[in-house]
Formats: sequence, C-alpha cells, structure tokens
Amino acid sequence: MESNGYSIVLEDVSKDYDKSTNVIKNMNLKIYPGELLVFLGPSGCGKSTTLRMIAGLEDPTGGKIIINNKDSRNLNNKQRSIAMVFQDYALYPNMTVYQNLEYALKVHRVPKEERKQRLEKIMESLNLSKYKDRFPAELSGGQKQRVALGRGMAKKTNIFLLDEPLSNIDVQLREKARDQLLQLHNQNGQTILYVTHDQQEAMALGDRIAVINNGIVQMIDTPENVYHNPSNLFVAKFVGSPQINVIQVEYNDSNLITLDGMKLISNYKNIVQKDKRLLLGIRPENISISEKQETESIPVKIDAVTDYGKFKQLTIKVSPEVNLKALTPSWNSNAATAYMKFDQDCILLFDKNTGTRID
Amino acid sequence: MQTNRKSLVWHIPLLLIVLVIILPILFMISNSFKTLHDSYNSILSLIPSHPTLANYITLNHQINLIRVTLNTFGMATLVTLGKISTGLLAAYAFHNFKFHGKKIVYFIFIATIFVPFTTIMIPNYLVISKMNLLNNMLGVALPQMCDAAGIMLFLKAMEKVPTSLVESARIDDIPERKILMNIIIPILKPNIISIGAIFFINSWNEYVWPTLILKDKGSFTLPLALQNYISSEGGTNFPLAMALATIMIIPPLLIYVIFQKYILNSISSSGLK
Repeated sequence: MESNGYSIVLEDVSKDYDKSTNVIKNMNLKIYPGELLVFLGPSGCGKSTTLRMIAGLEDPTGGKIIINNKDSRNLNNKQRSIAMVFQDYALYPNMTVYQNLEYALKVHRVPKEERKQRLEKIMESLNLSKYKDRFPAELSGGQKQRVALGRGMAKKTNIFLLDEPLSNIDVQLREKARDQLLQLHNQNGQTILYVTHDQQEAMALGDRIAVINNGIVQMIDTPENVYHNPSNLFVAKFVGSPQINVIQVEYNDSNLITLDGMKLISNYKNIVQKDKRLLLGIRPENISISEKQETESIPVKIDAVTDYGKFKQLTIKVSPEVNLKALTPSWNSNAATAYMKFDQDCILLFDKNTGTRID
Repeated sequence: MQTNRKSLVWHIPLLLIVLVIILPILFMISNSFKTLHDSYNSILSLIPSHPTLANYITLNHQINLIRVTLNTFGMATLVTLGKISTGLLAAYAFHNFKFHGKKIVYFIFIATIFVPFTTIMIPNYLVISKMNLLNNMLGVALPQMCDAAGIMLFLKAMEKVPTSLVESARIDDIPERKILMNIIIPILKPNIISIGAIFFINSWNEYVWPTLILKDKGSFTLPLALQNYISSEGGTNFPLAMALATIMIIPPLLIYVIFQKYILNSISSSGLK
C-alpha cells in the first residue's frame, strides 16, 4: 500500500496545566507513516491531551513533537496537514451537511467543480447523499458521525486524528463505522491516530495500540502482543473482558504456591527474582475446567455459571482466598466441584510492588 | 378547580402590578387625543370625549418630527451597532485567545459596570469637546460604543457554544475572523438580536448624555425634544406633550413586541436588564 501518511514522533513530551499536576510525563512515541495507532486508556489518562497537542490545540510544556521530520512548533496548521474528528463531532449547526463538508475547502479556495466532485464521492461512500441539505440538528448520531468523518476526509490531509468518535453512537452502528474507517484507511493510507477507552474497539482497529495510563505510555505494540504479552499488570488488567485473573503467589523451588498454601503450578521455569512473592496473571480462557481429574489438575468449587451464549463463564473457588473466573465453550454439569488446569504457556508473572512483567 | 382558584389568587396581585405599569401609558395615549380644554376638564378619563389628531398635527408644525426621529434613530443605531461589534470582538478574544493577564483585564472591564455614569460624565465631555465633536451625533454615540455589560453578555453566550467548533475550524486552518463571522455569529444570532434590542431601547431613551453634547435644536433626539418642549414652548399644553411622548414610545414598543421572545429569553438567562 502506498503511504500518504506523515510520521509523528514525540520526544520527551510533557504537559502540565498548573505546574503541579503533570498530565503527560516525558512521553516518547514513534508513529510510523500510514499507521493506524490507537491510544487506549481510562478516562483522564492523558490520551486526548496527547492528541490535542499533536493537533496543535495545546502546546506541550516540555519536549517536542516532530511531524513529518519537522518540529511542530515551526509548522502552521496547513503544514501539519491534520484533520480531526471530535467526540461531539463539532459540526457547524448553522450549515447544512454539504456546507459543513465544503466550508474548509471553500475558505481555502478549492475550485467549485473540484469541491463538488470530491464531496459527491465522499457523500456517496459514506451514504450521506440524501442528507445533503439537512442541518446537523436534523441528523441522528450515526449520521452526524459520518458527516464529521466526511469533513475530515474532504481535506485530504496526511494525518487523521479521531477523538472517541464512536462513543456517542449505538452499538449496532459502531461496527459499521469501524469498517468504514478501516476501508478509508486502506484507500488513503493516512496516518490515523484514534483515541478510545474501549479496548474492543482498540483491538479491532489498531495496527498498533498504545496503552496509556497516568500520562505514561505503558506499552505500545500490536493488538496481539498487547493482549497475550502485556508489559505490566495495568495493561494486562485493562485489556480483555472478562478481566484477567490475578493471584498472589509465592515462587518456591520451581513451584508457584498461593498464599494459603495451595500449589498451583509445579516445575515452572526458572525465574530470577529476589522477592519470592509475585502476582500471577491468567486469562479466563486459559483455565481449562473439566469434571474428570487429570494429572496436575486442581480440585475447585464452582460458585456460579454465567451463560453468555457463545461461551459460559464459571466463577470458581480454588481456596478460601482465591476466586477465579474461567471461560469454557460449554458446561452442562450441575456438579459443585470440578478440576482446573492452567495453560502453562499463558501464565504471566508480575512484580508484586511495581507490576512489571518478570518472566 | 383547585389550580384555578390558586392561579386566581396569584393573578390578582399580578394584574394590579400590570395596571400600575400600564395606567400611566394609557393615560398618556388618551390625553394625546384630547383637546386642551378637554384635558383640563377630564384629565383622568381614559376615553377622550372629542378625540382629535390636532395635537399631532400641531406638533409636526412646531418641531421637525421627522428630523428628530431620524436623529434618535441614527444615534440609537450607531450606538447599538458599536456596542454589538465591540462586544462580540472582545468576548471572542476573551473566550478563545490565551494571553497574559486575561483574567485581570476582564475583571477591570467588568468593574466598569459598577462605575456610575455621572462620575465619568465630565471627563467624557472634555474628551468629546477636545475632539471637536460637540453638537455632533458621533459625539453622543462614541463614548457609548463599548459596553462591559455587552461584553459579559456575549461572553456568557459564547461559553454555551462548544469549544470543539472553534478548535475544529482552527485545525481546518480557517482564519479567526471567518470563524467569528461564519460560525460564531450565526450561532449567536438570537442572542445578538435580543441584546441588540435592549441596547437600542436604552439608547433610544437616553437623556442625560445627549443633553450635554447636543445644543442645537436641529440635532436633538426625541427625549431632548420632549423635555425642551415641556419646559419651554408646550409647558402648559399638556395634550401636546403627551402626543410627543406617545410618538417617542412607539419604536421601542415595536421592537419589544417583535423581538419579545428573544428579549425575555436573554433577560431570564442572564439575570440582567
């Protein structure tokens, strides 16, 4: 795919609003040309602020942002070549759909014929042609979102920023909108930065995901690695639904033992760690449950079964202190006890104090 | 039934208040249609026994009504346009630009609302006379063309417009002047109309300041002409004065009736008159 995107590099970027609270702390980030990078994190983590700094709406208080190999401080809005879709869409209420799409082009003196051609194509592809003469107040959330997207597309920029653009529309429409976005990305090859707090959306869209918390990039990698190979406990917990199981364990002679003395894993690979106490993370789908005892399986009590249709979620009690969630495609037994086994390859170990990965 | 009785209890005092306000106006209008003789005999009766337009006709002969009305209209329009444009520009800057000392500057602006007009009347007069604008409509309008209350009202209105609109336009590299003209002003149209109507009415009724500046009868505004008429020529001719007063209240009344919806909205949302 030919790339029309600009690269964006953040070098030690920080931002504080009142000199005491740091919203962004020394952030370093490299975004490749033509990449679709998703900023994922809880609300207030600084992901929108980062996006706004790249857009030039806020100035960093430290460090610099380099867009297309140029320091962004020396770039005007035109040279940044950025289009942005806001969470509230920011459609001009006094203009019709067509006027909204056309306005920036008109101000920049794009010839009328070209404007018309470009916009008709966009309206066609976003299914907006019949709403052309409506005002934003007369549109549904999904339609407004498409107009906002179209307005960004019309400018033909090299960078496209999207700040939670799908959070105000119905779940059914969201999937469709995601597809449209991916299609758009494939066609134009712009660099896309997408902000969301929805991990599923991040997984579905991103070439890479940057997980952000407390103004710090916790991890930046492909969706697969973010899910299966999280760099710390925060990433592991934030990504995945139902949430990852976390158990306090002790590492002793290649064994992983719960604090109340239950041996969970024996013959675990060697790890170098001074503190014997660790946190073990295991995703619910990596715990297999069966009615029959197998080698090294552990007896557990089944407290609850939640039926999600596609799979069932079992809430199990391993020991008085340890409760876990496990996912299984089917579970028809009424038995109160069963046997559990961890998929050893999927065990994640974290430092108890810092939360960083150790294995 | 209960609600009806309850609302009746409320309506009686309200009606009384309305009556207190409206009676003098009705009194003024009815007397403007009476002959001098009639008004002496039955000044309090609301319906004239021999209705006549004579007062209006006499007025038109004695003072140049059209000229005076045009003067007033011109002055009020100038002041209103001035207040609206300076108010919008200042409010836009306060709302959308970052600059050092913004809060202090804004505070100083707002503090001027509490400075009584009488304290700045003399300095203003001296400046206007130095500028050679005495006896000139511009001299009346100029000191009033910027108004802190207007800035505050426009700022409050702008705060209700989502900031993302301006930000979005800025990312799209739209010049600030076009953001104001093509996006903000159309959105604020109802506010501009209502605030403008209040400015216009206030300016139309302005008396003290024009008295200081305008000396020549040809440049008088309606309130000045009325006062002048009562104190000199028509002092004893009560129906004539009432006819002039009636003419004077027509334009503000019309504006009020036409833009009533907007004006009530803006007053009730701002808490200001």
